[in-house]
Amino acid sequence: MRAFGALMAFGLGAGAMAAPALAHDGVVHGSAEEAARHAAAPPDGPTGRAGALPFALGGPFALTDQTGARRTQADPAGRMQLLFFGYANCPSICSAALPMMADIVDLMAERGVAAVPVMITVDPARDTVGSMGAPLKAIHPAFVGLTGTPEALAQARTAFGVQSEVVFTDPEHGDVFAHGSHVYLLDAAGTVLTLLPPILSAEHAADIALRYAPGDS
Amino acid sequence: MQLIRIAAGVCALAGAMAAGAPLAAQAAGERIRITGEIIDTWCYFSGVMGGPEAVVGSAHHTCALWCSAGGIPVGLLGEDGEVYMVLKIEGDDASAGGDTQLRLASHEITADGMLYRRDGLNYLVVAEVVADAGIVNHSHDDFGVTPGFAIPEPAE
Repeated sequence: MRAFGALMAFGLGAGAMAAPALAHDGVVHGSAEEAARHAAAPPDGPTGRAGALPFALGGPFALTDQTGARRTQADPAGRMQLLFFGYANCPSICSAALPMMADIVDLMAERGVAAVPVMITVDPARDTVGSMGAPLKAIHPAFVGLTGTPEALAQARTAFGVQSEVVFTDPEHGDVFAHGSHVYLLDAAGTVLTLLPPILSAEHAADIALRYAPGDS
Repeated sequence: MQLIRIAAGVCALAGAMAAGAPLAAQAAGERIRITGEIIDTWCYFSGVMGGPEAVVGSAHHTCALWCSAGGIPVGLLGEDGEVYMVLKIEGDDASAGGDTQLRLASHEITADGMLYRRDGLNYLVVAEVVADAGIVNHSHDDFGVTPGFAIPEPAE
């Protein structure tokens, strides 16, 4: 398990620090210079936001945040939301996705759009009201962690088509979960606007998210 | 050896794993048939483990299994050079780590499914794998195992 965690941490951490690669964001380039130009340019694809999501995804949920307050799919402060299913001490995809979400939120803020990163736990035994706030705050001060009853968490997972399962138990760190890995962009009311694959650069993902910002149609 | 056992355990148990996958496609998709290799999207796009030729095929097969088991969505690198983010393959409701995703890692397949172009990205819901040629890109001949530490040293 330590080797697994180290492999994932190395790969994911190194990825976060890497210069533009010859293949990135869906394009393969012939030179580092070309890759750098593409990385600095707006992403390819249609301009403006895409239409309604062509999938049945999202729905109501009622959970509890790290302060003990009840929270639904709607953001009480009226911000856009980046939603991810994971757990605060996850050694694999969360170590890429959660910091990516933090970076996206900061990049959006720089462009005047308020957004909040939200994680719904798949490990409620360890991610409790009292325990999940600190590790999430270390990633971003605005991070919201949500937990709840097994039934309430199952309702949220079902709404987003997310399944989660313990794949093995590490003798030192406890259960290791397999779980969904896409980040969902929600509006303030909790409607899913689009997907943000966790392999995008934060800059690219922020560019996509900003297309959906209120008043930016 | 412990790593191999863990990987095998992940492979065996990941069938019900993480979806994040929109399963009830409603509209706006395009039916396509496409041939390409199932790839590890993280290492392909990040470049941290090597150039694009080194992180596909047999050279990267072991790492691709690790990444998929760890939740990295798999992609299909089409013959057109585009990457299609796989949201689901056949009955496996996962974008990563499911039994089918792990079985097909690094394989060249022909897939029939629905393509959704969104935000400049390609999302693919594979209805059927109509052909599976296995691992045909023997990139290890040129690159060895990429990265080498993907295969652990045997326990002493």
